Amino acid sequence: MPRLSLEGVSKRYGATVALRRGDLDLVPGEVHVLMGSNGSGKSTLSKIIAGSVNPDGGLIKYDGSAVTIPSPQAARDLGIAVFYQELSLAAHRSVVENICLSRLGKSRGVFRNRAEMAAMAEPFIAPFQSVLGDGFGLDVPVGRLRADQRQLVEIIKTLAANPDILIFDEPTSALDRAQVDCFMAVLRELKANGKSIIFISHRMDEIFEVGDRVTIIRDGETVSTSALADTTMEAILRTMTGEEASAAATADTAVARVQSKGGPAKLKVANLVAPGVDNVSFDLAAGEIVGFGGLHGQGQSAVLRAIFGVSQFRSGDIEVGTAKLRGKSPRAAIHDGLAYVSGDRARDGVIEGRSILENTVPIYALRKRLFITSPRTLGEKAKAALEKLQTKYQSLAHPINSLSGGNQQKVIVSRWLMAPPQVMLLDDPSKGIDIASKTELFRVLRELASEGMAILLYSSEDAELLEHSDRVLVFNNGRIVRELRGDERTRYHLYQAAYEAA
Amino acid sequence: MKNSTNVVAEIAKTPLVVALGLIVALLVLGELLSPGFASLSQIMRLLIVASILGVVAAGQNLVILGGREGIDLSVGGVVSLSAVVAGNMMQGSDAGIIPAIIACLATGAFFGLLNGLGVTLLRIPPLIMTLGMLGVLQGLLVVVRNGIPSGLAAPGLAHFVTQPLMFGVPGMIWLWGAIGVLMAAMLKRTLFGYRVYAIGSNENAARMAGVPADLIRVCLFMFSGMFAAVAGFCILGYSGSSFSNVGAQYMLSSIIAVVLGGTSLSGGKGGYTGTMAGATLLVLLQSILTTLNIEEAGRQFAFGATLLVLMLFYGRGKALRG
Amino acid sequence: MTLPMQTSFTQRSIFERFPFIPALGILAVLLILNGLAEPNSLSFRAITGLTKTYLALMFLAVAQSFVVFSSDIDLSVGAILSLVNVSVVVMIDQLGGGPAAVLFACFAGILVGVLCGIFNGIVVVALRLQPIVATFATGILFTGIALWVLPVAGMPVPQSFWRTYGGRILDIPFVFYVVALLGLLIWLAVRTRFIIQLMAVGDNRLAAYQSGLPVTRIRIMAFAICGLFSAVAALCIIGDTASGDPVVGNAMTLYSVAAVVLGGTALSGGSGSMLGSAIGALIIGLINSFVFFVGVSSEWQNFAQGIAVLLALMAGVLVTRRISK
Repeated sequence: MPRLSLEGVSKRYGATVALRRGDLDLVPGEVHVLMGSNGSGKSTLSKIIAGSVNPDGGLIKYDGSAVTIPSPQAARDLGIAVFYQELSLAAHRSVVENICLSRLGKSRGVFRNRAEMAAMAEPFIAPFQSVLGDGFGLDVPVGRLRADQRQLVEIIKTLAANPDILIFDEPTSALDRAQVDCFMAVLRELKANGKSIIFISHRMDEIFEVGDRVTIIRDGETVSTSALADTTMEAILRTMTGEEASAAATADTAVARVQSKGGPAKLKVANLVAPGVDNVSFDLAAGEIVGFGGLHGQGQSAVLRAIFGVSQFRSGDIEVGTAKLRGKSPRAAIHDGLAYVSGDRARDGVIEGRSILENTVPIYALRKRLFITSPRTLGEKAKAALEKLQTKYQSLAHPINSLSGGNQQKVIVSRWLMAPPQVMLLDDPSKGIDIASKTELFRVLRELASEGMAILLYSSEDAELLEHSDRVLVFNNGRIVRELRGDERTRYHLYQAAYEAA
Repeated sequence: MKNSTNVVAEIAKTPLVVALGLIVALLVLGELLSPGFASLSQIMRLLIVASILGVVAAGQNLVILGGREGIDLSVGGVVSLSAVVAGNMMQGSDAGIIPAIIACLATGAFFGLLNGLGVTLLRIPPLIMTLGMLGVLQGLLVVVRNGIPSGLAAPGLAHFVTQPLMFGVPGMIWLWGAIGVLMAAMLKRTLFGYRVYAIGSNENAARMAGVPADLIRVCLFMFSGMFAAVAGFCILGYSGSSFSNVGAQYMLSSIIAVVLGGTSLSGGKGGYTGTMAGATLLVLLQSILTTLNIEEAGRQFAFGATLLVLMLFYGRGKALRG
Repeated sequence: MTLPMQTSFTQRSIFERFPFIPALGILAVLLILNGLAEPNSLSFRAITGLTKTYLALMFLAVAQSFVVFSSDIDLSVGAILSLVNVSVVVMIDQLGGGPAAVLFACFAGILVGVLCGIFNGIVVVALRLQPIVATFATGILFTGIALWVLPVAGMPVPQSFWRTYGGRILDIPFVFYVVALLGLLIWLAVRTRFIIQLMAVGDNRLAAYQSGLPVTRIRIMAFAICGLFSAVAALCIIGDTASGDPVVGNAMTLYSVAAVVLGGTALSGGSGSMLGSAIGALIIGLINSFVFFVGVSSEWQNFAQGIAVLLALMAGVLVTRRISK
């Protein structure tokens, strides 16, 4: 008998149907992968189980009897714990306070007991002991930790609830390989102890490594549930997108890759020093796509942000084209011909609540020094840019929030297409967007490169990085330790270089 | 068919329409309570008062739209100070009007600039910065009150504000209308307007797109100061001479007019037309309460209760649960 | 390998653990300045007088802290103070003025404060209205009720009340006992589980909700506690002014916010110090007296005080931010 089952669960927000018919069943002792592109309804499904969204219809059964889950507290009472993609941590509270947060209200007593909290938290922190990194401590405010450490705290917090059902939504996005391995080991142990785990991820290798069954949701409906052992990556992609072509990209694009033109250097970086960057130098030629590889937080994102003028301090020489980079702000960088697309689109890219038009025109308006904005003329240009990426939207006046994650990111990229830069800095641009959108994005990037644009690409997915880069610069501790060209561009070499001099 | 009723329902729910509906309702109520309340001359008088509040609210609206908890608590002080400055520059003569208006704008711009610099360069939260500035202004007013006479409005100004200019409508109201048009144009059809909404919605993303957030915010505070100064200038025309702290009531009245008009206090959402309706609504409300001749206690109570009820209809936040 | 429980100071600076230290520094500076301007101002008598006057603001600042910690704000604290003020005074009068009446009225007054706080809580939290404007509206409401209870300021209070407040027990001024009590309450409050939950809610409300915290209940409790402390502040005012005044507290609202900021608490919620807020209230008192002692002419005093408070506010915000970096 399944521990938890959802039958025909549905949810709509006004006119939008987030989930049409969601089915899922969880048995004890399994890792159940939930897959679907953005906008498919999988996050809604998991939020319903987590208690933060109330379904409109359908049946939820726990151990055979019907239940409702009206709030996160109710979910916890049922033994369900959730790892939230956006993290549910209080930045000023310490690590141990965050881990014990939900226990605090439950247990008796008016006063806090530091020793008791530490004792409660320790067993859950133990498995990750070796990968916690510097600066970690029970009393450290969570806001002071690195992104990967914070993600570990969120994982530990989820485990500390001692639940029978765990939901992990993109739990490894900021973690490096060693940390992911620890996490996988923890998952296997939970499985062996009879727990049920819902695992949502875009990372095929992790899915196949630890998953037992996979349920695929497409367009708001559950379309298939099968054992992972009985299926392949291609089959999953086919089911998920309902398409054939785009999924089989890997082999073809590798062949169809155009050799880089090897033109004049568009970007020259010399002795760059910035937060997280320890003396980095490299050149970027016109028409090249250069990838930044290595473990997380080793300086890839930091370099990109430093070049764009977003970091707190910066020293070194940067030349774009023939001109030296003067200004220390995004505005100056844009005027000098740089573009920057972030993986955290909610924080760095999307001006939420505003129209698609307003989100598409800022760079163009800046470069052309516009004063009056005429929706008609601007609209024409904006439409053209959005078309290039096959962005799906209803009208330019609609708010950008009405789009799915992938399309939102397309709007952000179109922003730069409207006023093409000399050098494009891509900081994990495909993070958290669906496969179809990713494919479109990289197709356009290749086109731009073939037309002479110089592109720096950082991707947290190795396969993507290796596939699209002409050469890869591997980072370690804020420095470039190796350059991979031609046949050297394999995962093996990538990690060999990433662990070098570690 | 279904679509059109949905659209109508959506429009009916917008703050602007609700405010307009309430205005009509209150006018009817006022006429019932006190015949002559909704007479043309009375409405004109109410509109003049509303337009002065509306001018202050325009500046407040801009600051709030800019986000990052933007708010200007010092407008009351600028209004009062500006009224004194205007009176002294005019000294009851029409020739003094131009110098007075320039002096007022300069005063407003000056304090707005200080507010803006404090908020952007020093990163002081606007609530605190403008609160402190208010204290300074109030202190300044004490000095001014003791040392300098309050001055007299020029007859030309008084005429402009209170007497019909065109089609029987006083100049003040025309001025307000013009400001309304300018605000709408600035907010929706200029890059500046786009940028104001951008920094109010997601300042970080706006910066990454090259928007000079700090510069814009300083401009917004300067606008607020200047609008408040213009209002102070006009108040002089309305009442003939200024008395100290005439502007005190405008601080929270302007904020409430903005909120009632549908602008979100967290920024990035809303516009000036709603604020204009909000200002009118507020003035109407106060007028009815005065007409009802309730004693101070009852008036305060009714005012506070009505505000709460109005806020229940819009200006509510999102629930945590979906 | 056991995890470090007490991290080294490099990882969590002393300023983070004790956010009120900068306020303490400013307080010391002001005490010195006051002493230089007017040596008598540091006398035992003068300090007692200062405490008597600003004790109410100290309680009000602590009250405000609770609400600010959960990233709300209460602009009606001054009005609650006024309402409790007149309620207590009128009640004492109605009940005959004996010691029993005084005690009863005090407890009833505190209840009034708590009820006002709960009302604020319901309006802001349950009805989801924005705190700044909503508590401003409730403040007007409370002022209206206060004006109804006592339309004109001036009803006197029996001697027993203000004699106790201004008097001494065991040769130590009564107000110092009250300060000690406040200190004890703060010390206890900081060690409760509630405070951790409150700060978590203020830090990231959505995250707190997702973590299963009863966010609504916590926020309403913060408003209720704020009302309670505001009521105590009202009792101090009665002790100091010995009369009832329906609008006595209204100007103090903004000062309470200033005191909270001066004390190292972030208005965005999630971090701060109640002790710092209490110190902030004293700082405001010392600023006012410094301006007076320095010999600023009476008409310029308000202006000078305004500038001084503005500068102190800036200093408070800047220092707090530097610590958080």
